[in-house]
Amino acid sequence: MNLFFIILLILFSSAILAFISNRIVRGSSGIIAFIGITAASILFFTQLSIGSTYSFSLGGIQMQFGLNSFTYLFAIIVLGLGVMASLYSIQYMKGKERLGYFYFNFVLTILGMVGIIFSQDFITFFIFWEIMTWSSYLIVIYNGYSVSKVGIKYMIFSALGAYAMLTAIVSIKGIYGSFMIKDAMAAGAFNFTDHLYIPILLLIGFAVKAALMPLHVWAPKAYSMSPMSFTAVFSGAMSKMGILGMGLVLASIYSHASPEDSVNSLILKQVLGWLGGITAVMATIYALIQTDAKKLLAYSSIAQLGYIVVGLSTGTQLGVMAALFLAVVHAIFKGTLFMAAGAVEKQAGTTDMTKVSGLIRKMPFTFFASLISIIALAGVPPLGGFVGKWMLYESLITESDSYFLVIVIFFSSTAAFLYSYRFLFGLFLGQEEKETEHVKEAPLTMVIPMTILALLLIVTGLYPGILFEPIAHGMEYLGYSNVNWDMSVLNNIWGEQTNMSYIFTSIGVVFVVVILFISLKGYKGTRNVGTKEISTSGEIPLEHENLTYQLDYYKPFERAAAPLYKRSMNKIWNDIGNALEAVFNFTRRIYTGNGQTYALFVIIFLVILLIFKDSLFAN
Amino acid sequence: MINDKDSQKIVDYIQNFSRKHSLFVMAYGTGCGAIEIPATMTSRYDAERFGIRGAATPRQADVLLITGYLATKTLKRVIRVYEQMQEPKYVIGFGSCTINGGMYYDSYNTINALEQYIPVDVYINGCMPRPESVISGFIKLQELIQQGKADNGKRYRENLEWYRTNQKKIIKNWKMPDYNW
Amino acid sequence: MEDLGLKIFGAILTTIMAFAVGMTYGGIVRKLTARVQNRFGPPFYQNFLDLVKLQSKKTNIAHGFMGHTAPVWIIIASITVLMFIPILNGNLWFPNLNFHGDLIFILYMMVFGSLGMALGAGQTGNPNSAIGVTRGLSMMVGYEIPFVLALVALMVQYHTTSIQDLMQIQHESGTWLIFSNPFAFLAALFASLGMFRYSPFDIVGAPAELASGPMSEFGGKYLGTMMTGGSIFSFIKLTLYVDLFLGGAGNPDHIGIWATLAGIGVLLIKTFTLYMVPVFYGWVSPRYRTEQAIRYFWGWPTALGIIGLIWAVY
Repeated sequence: MNLFFIILLILFSSAILAFISNRIVRGSSGIIAFIGITAASILFFTQLSIGSTYSFSLGGIQMQFGLNSFTYLFAIIVLGLGVMASLYSIQYMKGKERLGYFYFNFVLTILGMVGIIFSQDFITFFIFWEIMTWSSYLIVIYNGYSVSKVGIKYMIFSALGAYAMLTAIVSIKGIYGSFMIKDAMAAGAFNFTDHLYIPILLLIGFAVKAALMPLHVWAPKAYSMSPMSFTAVFSGAMSKMGILGMGLVLASIYSHASPEDSVNSLILKQVLGWLGGITAVMATIYALIQTDAKKLLAYSSIAQLGYIVVGLSTGTQLGVMAALFLAVVHAIFKGTLFMAAGAVEKQAGTTDMTKVSGLIRKMPFTFFASLISIIALAGVPPLGGFVGKWMLYESLITESDSYFLVIVIFFSSTAAFLYSYRFLFGLFLGQEEKETEHVKEAPLTMVIPMTILALLLIVTGLYPGILFEPIAHGMEYLGYSNVNWDMSVLNNIWGEQTNMSYIFTSIGVVFVVVILFISLKGYKGTRNVGTKEISTSGEIPLEHENLTYQLDYYKPFERAAAPLYKRSMNKIWNDIGNALEAVFNFTRRIYTGNGQTYALFVIIFLVILLIFKDSLFAN
Repeated sequence: MINDKDSQKIVDYIQNFSRKHSLFVMAYGTGCGAIEIPATMTSRYDAERFGIRGAATPRQADVLLITGYLATKTLKRVIRVYEQMQEPKYVIGFGSCTINGGMYYDSYNTINALEQYIPVDVYINGCMPRPESVISGFIKLQELIQQGKADNGKRYRENLEWYRTNQKKIIKNWKMPDYNW
Repeated sequence: MEDLGLKIFGAILTTIMAFAVGMTYGGIVRKLTARVQNRFGPPFYQNFLDLVKLQSKKTNIAHGFMGHTAPVWIIIASITVLMFIPILNGNLWFPNLNFHGDLIFILYMMVFGSLGMALGAGQTGNPNSAIGVTRGLSMMVGYEIPFVLALVALMVQYHTTSIQDLMQIQHESGTWLIFSNPFAFLAALFASLGMFRYSPFDIVGAPAELASGPMSEFGGKYLGTMMTGGSIFSFIKLTLYVDLFLGGAGNPDHIGIWATLAGIGVLLIKTFTLYMVPVFYGWVSPRYRTEQAIRYFWGWPTALGIIGLIWAVY
């Protein structure tokens, strides 16, 4: 039996087993899911070689599984994060209801993503895409928060994306006679000259998953309302499936762009780039007014995906490399952050930043993981996030003409400091209130995945080359030649470079020297005190007095940026919905229930047909 | 080398010199004397030329300046501020009220002698003392610092029992944190 | 090995110089401010005295790990940026790590210290600190926009992202970038008002209302170390501006000891002149509210930056 099938079968059977085993031994399904996903990943990384394919036919349609170096990159994200999240999930989901249901869908989502990675033709791609969408939908409604609002929105947009994709796939088959992705790419199916709508429909389908504006409205609630162990995968890995698809389509467009449609692809570049930029800005400014840490992270995910789309839209070597690097790094740090938020939720009961604060002493490891991830998220050197940001800026400045896009992106990433700090301050720093006195550090199996991922961020900062290698291979698959990379030196095309190892040396040396100085100097006279021991103009705050500053945290910024907050995509979609409803209402009135009216309609239709006969059936 | 007596002397000299010329003042303007502080700091008398500068919080301050009478209610805050300051710290009592109660000597809700509650390095006499005398008080403090005689924090630590007893006589609802240096 | 030793020596020398110059500038500004207010003022070495006093405090208070390490972050940011910014054009005396990082890196590294400071201030739990931090971060979003516009304009105009190359271009062409793209310079100059946090942008510390904001719980060695970091940082900012817009200092063709000293002299003159801009502006200004400050930077400075960028592209 083929290895592809074995991996999928392991995942599928562990999904079924997880579903059943919860009936027999309560709480065992988490362990089974973890074992299943781990076994599949071990098999994947040790046995499967890049380039191997396997063809089979189902119902007369030729299908193919395979693994290429581009999808291998995403397999690293999905399986790596999947293993970590499922390990984390064991303790996180402990004691919750309907565990069988949850893990069944959890593993099925991983299965869907692995299937997408394996599929070499559009049919399997679409089938696994739908498996992924449906199983993730079932988890989104797992917590039971107003399903009608959260789940339905996700479903509607997913369905919209799926229809768009299906239309494009069928058209490709109709025009080029093959379902194979590679054939379509080789034939230039995504080019603008012949059939403009195919790439656009495909991009819409992928943009829904990548939460690109204006198709992002499902994301904030879907991300924040599902259980955090799943959201780590949802936001970290699943959104990257959209990036995978976009990468394929865009690379194909740019590498096959003939001189005639270079104008079109230039427009596409600009449109996609600005969509990504505006997504980043709007999501960022909405992230920084959130009071719930989970929602803050959800908006920040959308913003980060905006950067990735901007990188992809440039189509240049450095830009695409930046996008793919950011995709991997984003999976790592956002996975960690959602896990940290989940750990706080589990231990303190809520992630509302107005209610929880000052957890740093109680949950030091969670804080450490969050700190590292936040530094990477904010793009501050020397961690992995900075490497991605650096390449993104350099590619925009050196290789593209959209200089103002740089400013937009920069605005977004500067404003990102605000919500980054807000997350750390809201949950971990600030006053230690009485309500959180009982909180303890999360269980070991929750801390370990977070810590491993956080350490990975440091490694990717010092040696980004570890990630550049698979990325470079993937880009060669996409049609870029001579992708150059270095172990720890970043280059742009003007010849400037930034050397991560020197940065690490400098920071490390100064850190050691100064921390020794400040810790040893006057060691005996230094006293460590709690957060109640602060200067409050001589007043001694009573027990019940609240010194936490959390509400309206960035009010001055909100006031300054008030015009930006007036526009809301949600409102626009609601308006569209209302307009559609009005149209349907009108359509309903056509059906009067009177036979004579229907006859009249038929006659009117025939008359119209006759009048426009020539122009409709001219050829 | 470091344990050598002479080099210790040199270090002490440098430290005391800089301490004396850099006094961050926490001006506790409870009484009417606060009105003299702006005059002392601004252009006419310009205390900054001696390195005297306002501090925003007790953490950064060196000198606690008690300007005038202390009501029994404010005493608690003064003690809190004093205890939050870091050593070496100095206290200047400003005006007659801090010495013997001044014109409020028989008032039911002011304290009479500041010395009973926290140690004081320098008193500035007068009601009100003019900026000149304030500056002269600071210069007196500087001399004490240079000679190494300003050991306010040490005195407080060593006689904590006595000060606490006095403080508790005035402050009825005692809810202060412990002073555990 | 000898080479490495020389490099380390150079790095330490650079740090000491930056520290001394930054502290002295601070002292001179205090003196000048006093003279403007018709006061005599403290001596120019007052900041050194303050530092020695703070470092020789006998007791200190730390609020947990982040509070303890906050000054460390600031020093890391200052010294690391210092290592990557060329002090003199074509210098052999302080080569440090100039060729190993470019403007984008410098831009991001400069935030490192603020973030560490913010985290340290956050852990103290003082509400004033938290308010100060929100103000500082919000204002940062304000002034970074014109600053980045100016930098992107330069990078686009001269097709390089390296400070070293920009200095070389100015040396070879004989004109400073302040003349070849005045709008970018003006935008960056306005941004520098926010960076130095003198009035009217001293909303972070705001001694009268926030009790010095983020600093309010730091005293003794912590405050002293922060002061050191801050002094080095102000020298860095000035040097960066001089390198980018005012032609830098030093001459790559003459690298003897006297030429180097002359270069440092030129650098001091240029940086001091530049430093006077925010100081002068501060003397005559009251304080803005935070949203007014942000709006200020998003107004004319950003417009000038956009003009500068368009100027650079076409």
